[in-house]
Amino acid sequence: MEQEDYIIEMRHITKRFGAVVANDDVSISVRKGEIYALLGENGAGKSTLMSMLFGMYEPDEGEIYIRGQKVRIHSPNQATKLNIGMVHQHFKLVQNYTITENIVLGIEPIRRKFGLFPCVDLKGANEKIRALSKAYGLEVEPTEKIEDVSVSIQQRVEILKMLYRNAEILIFDEPTAVLTPQEIEFLLEILRSLRDGGKTIILITHKLEEIKKVADRCAILCRGKLVDVLDVATTSTKKMANLMVGRDVSFVVDKKPPKFGDVVLDVKDLCVENRDHFDVVKHVSFQVHAGEIFAVAGVAGNGQGELADAIAGLTPQKAGKITVNGTDLTNLGVRARTKAGVSYIPEDRQAVGLILDFSLGENLALKSYGDPPFCEHGVLKPDAFVEHAKGLISDYDIRGQKPEGPVRPMSGGNQQKIIVAREIDLESPLMIFVQPTRGLDIGAIENIHKRMIAERDKGKAVLLISLELDEIMNCADTIGVMYNGEMTKIAAADTLTANEVGEFMMGVKAQ
Amino acid sequence: MNHRTHPVKRAFVKVLGGRRTQSVAIPIFCIVLSLLAAAIVLLCLGKNPLQAYAGLLQGSGLFPKDSYAAHRSILTDFISMVDNWTPMLFAALAVAIANKGGLFNIGVSGQMLAAGFTATVLIGYSDLPAVVAKPLVFVIGIVAGALVGALIGFLKQRFNINEVVSSIMINYIIQYIVSFFIYTYYVDPISRQSRAVGANARLTLQQVSIGDLNTVLPIGFVLAVVCVFVLRFLMNRTKFGFELKAVGANKRAARYAGIPVGSRIVLSMTISGALGGLAGVTYYLGYYASIQPRTLADMGFDSIAVALLGNSNPVGIFFSSFLITAISKGSTYMSSTVGVQQEIASLITGIILLFSACSAFIRYLVEKYRVQLEEADKAMAEGGKA
Ligand SMILES: Nc1ncnc2c1ncn2[C@@H]1O[C@H](COP(=O)(O)OP(=O)(O)OP(=O)(O)O)[C@@H](O)[C@H]1O
Ligand SMILES: [Mg+2]
Repeated sequence: MEQEDYIIEMRHITKRFGAVVANDDVSISVRKGEIYALLGENGAGKSTLMSMLFGMYEPDEGEIYIRGQKVRIHSPNQATKLNIGMVHQHFKLVQNYTITENIVLGIEPIRRKFGLFPCVDLKGANEKIRALSKAYGLEVEPTEKIEDVSVSIQQRVEILKMLYRNAEILIFDEPTAVLTPQEIEFLLEILRSLRDGGKTIILITHKLEEIKKVADRCAILCRGKLVDVLDVATTSTKKMANLMVGRDVSFVVDKKPPKFGDVVLDVKDLCVENRDHFDVVKHVSFQVHAGEIFAVAGVAGNGQGELADAIAGLTPQKAGKITVNGTDLTNLGVRARTKAGVSYIPEDRQAVGLILDFSLGENLALKSYGDPPFCEHGVLKPDAFVEHAKGLISDYDIRGQKPEGPVRPMSGGNQQKIIVAREIDLESPLMIFVQPTRGLDIGAIENIHKRMIAERDKGKAVLLISLELDEIMNCADTIGVMYNGEMTKIAAADTLTANEVGEFMMGVKAQ
Repeated sequence: MNHRTHPVKRAFVKVLGGRRTQSVAIPIFCIVLSLLAAAIVLLCLGKNPLQAYAGLLQGSGLFPKDSYAAHRSILTDFISMVDNWTPMLFAALAVAIANKGGLFNIGVSGQMLAAGFTATVLIGYSDLPAVVAKPLVFVIGIVAGALVGALIGFLKQRFNINEVVSSIMINYIIQYIVSFFIYTYYVDPISRQSRAVGANARLTLQQVSIGDLNTVLPIGFVLAVVCVFVLRFLMNRTKFGFELKAVGANKRAARYAGIPVGSRIVLSMTISGALGGLAGVTYYLGYYASIQPRTLADMGFDSIAVALLGNSNPVGIFFSSFLITAISKGSTYMSSTVGVQQEIASLITGIILLFSACSAFIRYLVEKYRVQLEEADKAMAEGGKA
């Protein structure tokens, strides 16, 4: 049995966090040179399983064999010694360090000045990293600071960090959740070429078509247990989805034809500039009616994020006018806009949407803590927070934490659900959803889409901003495409095909 | 058989590993550890550490001395320790509330001096009746401290000037302005300090008779204890505390939640400054009666360590400030009974603070040992079966 050439074997792994059993007797074996996918619902224990392979936690029970040798991986350094590398779900980079500094951190190359004083040889490292990035087609500028580069570049840095440490086993935890479709294609290409170069890759993702495209085999986890290991080539995505969620999942949501009401959001001639006084939203005008899902499509970085921030009041507008139900928002602060009827799911859940050290109950009331029943005469009512949280936890199937516990250790998808639950619960006439399903499993995505459409049917105006064309084509009543800060096309969803939208997004087509 | 392996680690985990008791057990362990370390220092100097520690406790009124002067007892020693404890408690609370809001108030000394000086000049030399003067001293202390704190907060909120930098600068400015005025107008030619404030304005009553004892009576202490509970309530149970902690934990998320981040920063610095001001008046018009020009009170800086030792938790600070004050107050007596220099006493205070800062490390160590032991046991059990 063990004659087969498995590079990684995890046998009967169990990991508990207090009462939560994150992994329950899980055994997986990965062959050298394959792409092995891990699939499972939010909180199924994928990140935890891989964190143990990378030495962040140690299993409570079970054994790990690497290249046939039984090993105890007690720290990431140990994992690095075993040539294991990992790109985490939430990147672990030092924001104000350069790319090179981040990559060499902990194993800095030392050069002796005048043959005596040790100092970090950054120049040499820069060159080495430049060569490495050429060799693997992961172009970066080593001297740039992390805070100045986009997420996709940050991800490249994480990959280079592994390669720089001579990793042979590469673990990717939801690498595509933060990328645009084009970047995803590119990443999958990189993954293939890494595999063809002899590396072994473990890929965690919620996107079945990605698994279909690159993976050789796929293990499915459900609530901590291993359900099945499948040969990707001979299994349909429908079957995978079914095994994972335990029921049939429809990829296309049923939708009644929309009934538009009055105009809720009216954006006129909006201009927004970024911190460097560079125009990022240029003279954008559009309207969203009650009972309408208005989806903004666009490649990341074309001003959609700033558009949402400006409406929510997080970024000042330079010119133009925004009204919600007739209230002019121009001079209102964030709180006043929330009261005027704006709820907002921001793009970055950990940096903006949540306070990780606050409890689940407090995070679920992050926008309403100051109002009854949470607060009377300035005094908080802890019981009200717990009660409120219990309701939302069961409605939105948020798993892995008590209302009183902090949200930091919760799984990425469950953190996202907290924000979605909170914002929909505000019952605002206007709901701005930016990437609402980022990092969610397909069951949860279906659930969120259904809720979004239910809100529309209740007469809410929904502004959906997404990088996923599928999501837009599935949910939108009206589609606006943003390209280079301008809204280049606005049309009813049923008059556009996905291809056409794609062309507008790339700026190939103009009105 | 099992417990024979790694007896030290086992005991370690057993004593400190309890999930509920940990938050108390570990600080106590740290303190014991530091006392042991300090004992080694004392032994090296050829002194008896037990005698030294007894001296420490005797000096702060926690352990009876062999003999007392007329009208003195352990109680009077204790009360005079409380007299010193009062400003320390205020000062540490000042640091803590700023901490919760994500700010580092290193300017407590300056706020103390500003409040102490203002109150000295406005009330200390007046002949208002005591019932009017004393409350006024408190009020002026609060207002003066709050104004300095608010200025620091405003500079941060409006011009994004780091509060550490501005506090240090403002500390200097206050120190020199106060020195100038004292030397020009209020100096006592003999002591070279400001003239002593009148008994009507002083917040520590002198020469109070209780039975046949003759003691001081720090009236600010009651207010300090009230502040502990008020702050605890403010931080844990009020909307304002929620917002303050949100700003301290994640500014961007706080802004997103609609919290006016700037105003919360200014407000938390203002409250912090007000507490610093209370520390100032209970220090300069209570424990002392005059101001020494050209110096800042060390207490303002020690209070940072005290606040950290108490984990920025008001009740924790109540105990940590007690501990540190008792040690520093007792150290004078210790140095005279055992014959070590005052510096050694300060050294011991330093060692305690250093070890307390290690509590996170000790918690980590306990967890690590626990895992190791569990594994060892498992291996043993399996070995037994085979
Ligand atoms: N450090 C921790 N402390 C307590 N509970 C934890 C910790 N880490 C993970 N968990 C819990 O273990 C479970 C599995 O979490 P994990 O992050 O592995 O899920 P996941 O499969 O990666 O989900 P997602 O797709 O949402 O990222 C969750 O219920 C989570 O709340
Ligand atoms: Mg995960």
